[in-house]
Amino acid sequence: MAHYTELNIGPIHPAVHGILKFKVKLQEEIIEDVEITLGFLHRNAEKICELNYYADNMVYFDRMDYIDAMNMELGYLTAVEKLMDMEVPERAQWIRMIMAELNRLAARLVGLGAFGLDMGMLTPFFHCFIEREKIQKIFVEASGGRQEVNYMSIGGVYQDFNDQIINDIREFLKEFKPYLEDIYGMFMHSEIFWQRNDGIGILEPDVALDYGVTGPLLRGSGIAYDVRKDAPYLFYDKVNFNIPISHKKDNMGRFILKVEEMRQSIRIIEQSIDKIPDGPYFNNKAKKSMMLRLKGDGEVFSRVESENGEFGVYVRGNGTFKPWRVHVRSPAFKNISVVPVMAKGMMIADLIVIIGSVDTVIGEIDR
Amino acid sequence: MVATVKEIEIPKKPVPILGSLRTMGIVGKYMFKKPITTQYPEEKGEIPERFRYRIFLAPEACIGCTLCEQICPNHSIKMEKWDFKREDTEKLTIETAHGERTNLQNKRHIYPDVNFGTCTVCRQCEEICPTDAIYLTHEFENSRTRNSFTYSPEELTKQEQDVIK
Amino acid sequence: MNLLTRIHEWFSFLGNPASYAIGYLLETLFIIMFVGISFIALIYIFRKYMARIQRRIGPNRVGKFGLLQLIADALKLIGKESILPEGRDDLAYKIAPLIIMIATLVSFIILPFGDLTYFGSLTITHSKITLILLFGILSILPIGEILGGMSTRSNYALIGTMRAVAKDVSFEVPMLISALAIVMISSRSFVTGNAIVGGFNLSTIVTDQIIPYGIIEPVGLIVFFISMIARASYTPYDLAESDSELITGYTTEYSGMRFGLFYIGLFGMIYLGSFFISILYLAGSNGPVTTDLGFIYLFIKTDILVLIAFLIWVSLPRIRIDKFVNLGWKYLLPLSVINLVYAGFFILYIR
Repeated sequence: MAHYTELNIGPIHPAVHGILKFKVKLQEEIIEDVEITLGFLHRNAEKICELNYYADNMVYFDRMDYIDAMNMELGYLTAVEKLMDMEVPERAQWIRMIMAELNRLAARLVGLGAFGLDMGMLTPFFHCFIEREKIQKIFVEASGGRQEVNYMSIGGVYQDFNDQIINDIREFLKEFKPYLEDIYGMFMHSEIFWQRNDGIGILEPDVALDYGVTGPLLRGSGIAYDVRKDAPYLFYDKVNFNIPISHKKDNMGRFILKVEEMRQSIRIIEQSIDKIPDGPYFNNKAKKSMMLRLKGDGEVFSRVESENGEFGVYVRGNGTFKPWRVHVRSPAFKNISVVPVMAKGMMIADLIVIIGSVDTVIGEIDR
Repeated sequence: MVATVKEIEIPKKPVPILGSLRTMGIVGKYMFKKPITTQYPEEKGEIPERFRYRIFLAPEACIGCTLCEQICPNHSIKMEKWDFKREDTEKLTIETAHGERTNLQNKRHIYPDVNFGTCTVCRQCEEICPTDAIYLTHEFENSRTRNSFTYSPEELTKQEQDVIK
Repeated sequence: MNLLTRIHEWFSFLGNPASYAIGYLLETLFIIMFVGISFIALIYIFRKYMARIQRRIGPNRVGKFGLLQLIADALKLIGKESILPEGRDDLAYKIAPLIIMIATLVSFIILPFGDLTYFGSLTITHSKITLILLFGILSILPIGEILGGMSTRSNYALIGTMRAVAKDVSFEVPMLISALAIVMISSRSFVTGNAIVGGFNLSTIVTDQIIPYGIIEPVGLIVFFISMIARASYTPYDLAESDSELITGYTTEYSGMRFGLFYIGLFGMIYLGSFFISILYLAGSNGPVTTDLGFIYLFIKTDILVLIAFLIWVSLPRIRIDKFVNLGWKYLLPLSVINLVYAGFFILYIR
């Protein structure tokens, strides 16, 4: 009869990103079983969305994946605009794309920093947050909000880009490129980092498909699935970029892949910033008090590629000013479900690194 | 132009100890750079033009249409019956999209009051207001000692230092 | 002339026994005060240094340049309530931090500090086996860790203790063997007569290093340095108190000043380790120009080592326990044995 040690990692614990609980069964230091408890941050966002006007719900989507707010907004908006047959001006679409990619960079930076912190590397965290702060400053310049931006609106964006913002983005990218390589180097040159990640947290592609895993986790297992490529929204089909995949299937491959994706995000921003046309940034149908008079009928499912993977939004309208049902397909929820499979037979220190590598945001899981 | 799939290149494993020395080199390099901290209460970082926080109300322009109450995502704004004293309001003028206004348009005398305890600063009330009566400013230091964060319509017209805390 | 005789001279009007007693007491107090002030300076420097690496400013509110920050922190820790866990083993729980703290402090008294112009030699312990004494005191520290971890009945602390024990066993053997190589080299000139004892004396080890032993046996230096990181348990090898996995390992259930004592133990070990390395491998108080400033030389060497240790702390990730045990038994132990053999050949060669 085996004797187990039970260890609670969470709800309040330095290793978990947010509030969730891992109940770990240990045989000495080897993990026998992991049980995940979720729901500590449940805020009933889907139900609240049914009680509000279409335009109001942006605020709740901002607070789902709170470090990748732009992509959350985008997911909701693509669904609602499809539902209402709302046309979005071209300029607004390019602006949205730049903002979404900038926010992807910011979210990845948080992920990298926290990943380092999980392994006891104190320094990269601060450098990541210094750079993220610059992105957030661009957000403030554009929208007035730092993290929960509420920038995009139905039919466009709330405020137009001006020359200063475009200059700031260009300047930021110029400074960021060497900085990113430095941060990458801080991780990659250290052999202990390799020891901690090489061959740890192996996720087989068929297991990943079974669990519905998307995002860097799936691409890290060698399956090239990216919503930006497979079902292009905005103008992702008009820019050149790579979808990096890795057949290494482990933490190391995923880490390199995430950094490579950041480089690709920079490429996308650089290309799209030259392509912004002049014109309106807002559809007049959704202007001012019309924000409250937006009606939708029918049902729609729309998806975008958020920081963690495929973020899908299902909206059903019944012809009134408020949605009848809103449902969110949260990528982080699927991703976190695969942690017990990846962590089985590993050591407790590996579990922490795997959680860091999966990099979930609890706001999105619990909603 | 559709995105192309590309396999990542896995770099070579670093040499033990030498790799760590290289990491330490990169980390130590930043010792000679300037710190980027701003010492908040003494020095305030520059606030971008579009940054918004505290909600203000121009009672002359407010027509009591309740649109802000309706759009507020978490019901932080409630309409409230409020009598502004004449002499107070005469001093206040506001530049709106429709010119300068000093007369009270609000026949029903209902004005918004805002609970800053729940306000998410989504700026939709400013966006929707047809007369630009409700607007947000750069002022963001509205910490207070009393329990209620609700600003009455009268307090919404005042500067932060004049509001009783 | 050393510090003891100097103090004895001042108090010679009291007669021999009393003045010697006062002499011993005072110089011990001096060293403990010196170490205490060094700790405060060390933690202040660490925080400033780490802040600058991470592009922050660091403590700057309490006192001029934040110099009083650590005193404020200590006062805060003393003022805090000590939360005692339920079901603890009371005695073990309470003496564990004291063991760590006292052992760390006492070990400073053994070190040969070298000369300082007027005072003469600052070395306190005039024993012939100071090296053995020092290792003896270092081997007390694991007892504090085990008592502290096992007495609290917390699973985090339990795993932390297991790791601490595994860690201690795997690095202490290579550490001792590489110290043995030092003893071999330093006792080579005493081969005739009552020889071996001289090699265990840290003072003679220092005076023997016309060329620092670190240059003669660099492998030993690396092994010893890694062992000292593991002994002090900061980041690459802080598996026992890995704060992202086990909260703080065996100190999880400690709070208030008891936690502060563990913290002092950590910084004390970094400082002691740096002293130890500079004495054994970097010629301690030997300097280029004059022997009068031996203490200053030692101090400078130690501080450079401390800064290197801090840089390692902030830049490297934490190693996993099985990899560390691997490192200890599969790499450090053979390396230290090779170093020992090499030291033997070296003695044969220079004779």
